[in-house]
Amino acid sequence: MKKIGLRKLSAVAAVALSASVLSVAPAQANTTIKIITPNYTDAMPAYYADLNARFMAANPTIKVEHTNLSWDDILVKGRTLVATDSTPDILNLNTFSDYAAAGLLYKATDIFDAKTMADFVPAFIDNSKYNGVAYAVPDLASARMFFYNKQLLYTSGVTKVPTTWAEVTAAAKKIKKKYPRVYPIGLPLGSEEAQAEFAIWTGGNNGRYFDDKAKKWVINSKENLETMNYLTSLVKAGLTQPSPASTNRTDAFKLFSQGRIAMINASVFFPSTLKDYKSKVDYGVAPFPHSPKGKPITLGVQDYFMAFKKPGNEAAVKAWLNFLFQPTNYAGFLRAAGGFIPATKSASSAVDSSLLPFIEQLPNAIFYPGDLAAWPKVSGSIQTQIGTGVIKDPKGVLDKIQKVAVEAGVK
Amino acid sequence: MTATGIAEKKVKNRRPANSTLSALPWIGPSLLLILLVVVWPAIELIRISLTKITSAGVLEGFFGLGNYRLLFENPDLKTIAVRTLIWVFAVVSITVALSLPLAQLINQNFPGRKFVRWAMIVPWAASVVMTSIIWKWILELTSGEFNLTLQQLGLQDGQPVDWLRDPRYSFFVLVWVAVFVSIPFTTFVILAGLQSIPNDIVEASQVDGAGPWQIYRRIKFPLLRNALLIATIINLINVFNSFPIIWALTRGGPGYDTDTMITFAYKMAFVEYNMGPSTALGVINFAFIMLIVLIYLRVTKATRDQA
Repeated sequence: MKKIGLRKLSAVAAVALSASVLSVAPAQANTTIKIITPNYTDAMPAYYADLNARFMAANPTIKVEHTNLSWDDILVKGRTLVATDSTPDILNLNTFSDYAAAGLLYKATDIFDAKTMADFVPAFIDNSKYNGVAYAVPDLASARMFFYNKQLLYTSGVTKVPTTWAEVTAAAKKIKKKYPRVYPIGLPLGSEEAQAEFAIWTGGNNGRYFDDKAKKWVINSKENLETMNYLTSLVKAGLTQPSPASTNRTDAFKLFSQGRIAMINASVFFPSTLKDYKSKVDYGVAPFPHSPKGKPITLGVQDYFMAFKKPGNEAAVKAWLNFLFQPTNYAGFLRAAGGFIPATKSASSAVDSSLLPFIEQLPNAIFYPGDLAAWPKVSGSIQTQIGTGVIKDPKGVLDKIQKVAVEAGVK
Repeated sequence: MTATGIAEKKVKNRRPANSTLSALPWIGPSLLLILLVVVWPAIELIRISLTKITSAGVLEGFFGLGNYRLLFENPDLKTIAVRTLIWVFAVVSITVALSLPLAQLINQNFPGRKFVRWAMIVPWAASVVMTSIIWKWILELTSGEFNLTLQQLGLQDGQPVDWLRDPRYSFFVLVWVAVFVSIPFTTFVILAGLQSIPNDIVEASQVDGAGPWQIYRRIKFPLLRNALLIATIINLINVFNSFPIIWALTRGGPGYDTDTMITFAYKMAFVEYNMGPSTALGVINFAFIMLIVLIYLRVTKATRDQA
């Protein structure tokens, strides 16, 4: 999101230089660690270049080989690293559980001391557990809220920001009547983030993907089917953008930024995205609308840092991860990542005021069942298929994904 | 050396063992290359397809035909396979049908022919991903040039059409873009075929009183058989393997509605993290390509023997 030109280049050059200097350094007990991270924004490579240069200066026996990848690339690469024997030492990704299940990861407590562990936001650490043991740590998190275009809403005669499904429908109808070329509701159920879009709508109807108490998948539950039917009714009435099943989040965000979508579910970083799009839309943020039987919820999503067990790398991965989570370095990480919720309590006290409404929502947050080894696979099926529920057969699609989930297991 | 000497040497060289061995230094490097970049990956692919593999990419030992069983249990496979056949047939046949007259056109002498030929090569020379992204921009819902033009011409009232995301249109859009990138190569292969037709045959038929259509239908078209065969079969392989167009424009969506067996294999592995069946589909796709290659070799051998 934030573009960095020359600074990035010179920082990369600095790392290259220090790396080459290190490689000819006299023989010591040298360790090389490979780190792979995604670019939350274009500012990430420069941030890591600077961080690694300082880290290697402070730890002359450790050499860092850092790879920055786009999200698209890292999601693909994450699947082939282990199979091709090119497992990194440290990985930053949106899932961790299937690596933990395969016994590839260090426990979080092997990497961090009790004081640092206690500083992570407890809910985020809970989501980093596999079988009750933390095998990863949160790097940052997001929460979602209801974004609306003030001008479109108020000039259409909507006097109150919708808080329930019925109010959403009513407001959408008013907007459509006044502005026939505006899509009142953005419903991006394309594969990019369909799992999130459906989760937040159904969450407000008490629907979930996984029942934590009963330890079973509930994707084709009554609540989820009700949600699917409600969303289908919006689509049929022409209150959403066309082709919801193949509209990705990015596409819908662009339409909102152009004033073509009036109401949408969006994440905590959306304001900075709108700034990047040079959007002139005057928007408001509100808790996400819910059904009569539900209550307002938000969807919490977090990503992870994880360290892979390899002979002789423990001290080095420990040093690097602790270096990253030093308050000033971690603050830089959050700045470079652009507008996310911090994963540590200490960093949470110093956030930008625009984040506060989102942090206030966190007690109502529902999360993905990211602690299950089956989750990456189930999430993938939800992403590619759940959107077709609103254009084809709502029940059939939910049943199909439920079957995939049941086969993937509940561990 | 006498004539008999040469003849004797020729006979000697024809002995298989000797000739194979003596050819090795010449074909050795390319053989090694083929082993390395074709045979070895193919063997690896087959080996992995017989292995149990988790979503984290951990190999869990021999799985027999388990991955194939899982693949064939997939309820969407059949539709996708049928669509793949339609995709290949539609793109190749439309491409050839459009390339035949185009080749005829740029074979004529007219001012600016060089420029037209050059312009025709551009879509071929450009990266397919680039071409696809340009089409994506053109056909974009609210800001795409195509919808904007339709609106300005008054041909589209109300809401714009979502060419890329609406499954009623997107498959046809994909076919069109695939035809667009396949035409240059096909046209030039046919042009080469046209240029290899000896002028005296054409002149002789003119003397015999044949009209232009008759000349094309009875003389030129039959002589284009080889060029057409080669163009068709290479296009078959290209279009079947075509990944970037579909991935850049629709990602095979919504659901699997615009997937072919190639994009489906990728989607299974890297979006749905369903690695095992995906490797099995990889093997099947590979086998399909091998089949087309075999047909190609058969056909070219047959035409060579004929000549």
